[in-house]
Amino acid sequence: MASVESILFGLSLTCIAFAALGYLLSLLVQKVQFAKISTWVLAAGFLFLTLNLLMAAFHSVAWGGFGSRRFLSIYAWAIAGIYLGLQFKTKTRVLGAFIAPLILLFIIVAAGQESGKNLVPPDWQGWLTVLHLVLAIAGEALFVLACGAGAMYLIQNNLLKHKKPGKMSNLLPSLGDLDRINAIALLWGFVFLTLGMIGGAVFAAFVWPDAWIYDPKVIWAFMVWVVYGVLLHQRLAIGWKGSRMAILSCVVFLLFILSALIVRFCLSTVHNFI
Amino acid sequence: MIILVGLNHKTAPLAVRERLFAGCQERAQLLSDLQAIDGMREILHLSTCNRVEVIASTDDAPLAVAGLKEFLARNGGLTGEETASCLYAYSNDEAIRHLFRVAASLDSLVMGETQILGQVKDAYRQALAQNAIGIALNRLMHRAFRTAKRVRTETGIAANPVSVSYAAVELAKKIFGTLTGKKILIIGAGEMAELTGTHLIGNGAEEITVANRSPAQAALLAEKFHGRAVSLASLDETLCDVDIVISSTGAPTYVVTHEMVQRSLRKRKNRLLFLIDIAVPRDIDPAVDAVENVYLYNIDDLQDIVDENMKNRRREALRAEQIVEEEVSQYANWLKELEAVPTIVSLRTKAEGIVQAELEKAQHWMGHLENGDREKVEALVNGIVNKILHAPVAVMKEESAALHSQDIVAAARQLFRLDD
Repeated sequence: MASVESILFGLSLTCIAFAALGYLLSLLVQKVQFAKISTWVLAAGFLFLTLNLLMAAFHSVAWGGFGSRRFLSIYAWAIAGIYLGLQFKTKTRVLGAFIAPLILLFIIVAAGQESGKNLVPPDWQGWLTVLHLVLAIAGEALFVLACGAGAMYLIQNNLLKHKKPGKMSNLLPSLGDLDRINAIALLWGFVFLTLGMIGGAVFAAFVWPDAWIYDPKVIWAFMVWVVYGVLLHQRLAIGWKGSRMAILSCVVFLLFILSALIVRFCLSTVHNFI
Repeated sequence: MIILVGLNHKTAPLAVRERLFAGCQERAQLLSDLQAIDGMREILHLSTCNRVEVIASTDDAPLAVAGLKEFLARNGGLTGEETASCLYAYSNDEAIRHLFRVAASLDSLVMGETQILGQVKDAYRQALAQNAIGIALNRLMHRAFRTAKRVRTETGIAANPVSVSYAAVELAKKIFGTLTGKKILIIGAGEMAELTGTHLIGNGAEEITVANRSPAQAALLAEKFHGRAVSLASLDETLCDVDIVISSTGAPTYVVTHEMVQRSLRKRKNRLLFLIDIAVPRDIDPAVDAVENVYLYNIDDLQDIVDENMKNRRREALRAEQIVEEEVSQYANWLKELEAVPTIVSLRTKAEGIVQAELEKAQHWMGHLENGDREKVEALVNGIVNKILHAPVAVMKEESAALHSQDIVAAARQLFRLDD
């Protein structure tokens, strides 16, 4: 059965690679048709990945088997799923040129990992861990989307401020749509991350009573949660909008990626899946 | 043979165009008059404010062209000399090409405008309703529609706006996405501001507020848009509420200042603001453009966009011309085959092919026949085929001079599947 799983994974990788190329091509030659086709190719890739993950879950024993490959695949799956959901609703196809390469990066790194490896300590394996992981990953995937929308907002804003509403600007979504995507992604990203963290904390309180709170990854996650909380507050309560929010979503996201890498490579943590 | 006689905005002054246009108003009568001209087989007539054209299929082109020129001049109450320099006459490929270019809006005053295709379709429907067109023009018109569609979808000829007010609407869409529910403030009462307001409403914008130095004028314009009028003094307050501002007053100083916009932003909770300044001298302080989430375009900025779009259209037109050429040659090939002689030739070729193939198949049992007997069988088969073909060929030859010969030829091509 493992072979069917790896065939599905391969198919998914191929589809995502072609979708990423198609999206970039559509931006390069400024034709929206390529982006349209890429959306369907990406949807196919998402479907294959879903089947792959379902099969894996079905064959795993007692919620275990959370290796690096699974972990990264879920990242790619969550980003793709959220992007596609939004795509079919808002028709802002070119966002894919920013998101699809990122999905591809996750899936390529995932492909390089051992498929059978299990990094979750045996006594921690359980449905609450899976829930914690999936929710936290979904939250982070939404922050990826907020960053992508923010980057596009800055490009479109720059074109319009410099009175250059040409072909490139036609291809990008409107400022209003991008700002709305940013708002939705921030709000739901925060909600998922909060739920994911609560799930993790509750679980940790039972099986890992000592010192879980000092784990670098936990501290990192708490910082992410606070900063995005502040961003969301500024957005909803103070009314920050548009370019300021776009810049902040990008900067904050990049800082967190950087600090996540530092946590991963310089400090020791039990949240070590990659 | 297809011919086209007419005039357009490039060849005829307005004075001549309006006379001919006026003469073409009674469409039903006009078509029957045109059908009565010597040599006409099928006829279709198109008249818009920029062109009057007659497309016809005929067997005697010089006679038909002369008749049409004479008729158009007379119908407009002009003499042949007065219209001689204005009227053009095309035949065959040139006529087909001209019609396709007209339908694809390559010959329009504003290249790429979409109205013309609707007018061509109307003309076609009218001619169809009066049984003025047959197989050749029918196919020609469908090819013209197809060409127009291809040009519109395969090139960017109609992609970007080429008027200042439409350019403003397109910009508003890029900023807000949808204009539904957006609020507009018009300052001043210029014609351009009004036009832009109309376009914005046409695209979904809802509430219009008009501010003017003269309350009476403000009320007048506000009534037109079913909006409300405010005084210039309350501009500060209004600015907090609207999404799009169009300004075109004759004021010598800035009507909307940097401070005003800055102040409003807090109350607006940083909502996007699009300012369109079409006044000369300018109404809105250019420094406003530096404010976050505020987008200011003046008349020069808009004109630059329009110029750029116009340039793009001309570039796209080159690609459109290629599409037209493809379609012209396809139609011209089809039309050639509608003549009797090539059809008779292909009918005979097909029949000979069948005879040869069948005789080949019969080789295995005809092998034991004497040479003489075999020749007799072959002669018999050929005789039967020739007898069968004799009648259709004769009819096509007899009718080739008649008005509806193309219908018969087309029927023959279909019955014997000569186009497969």
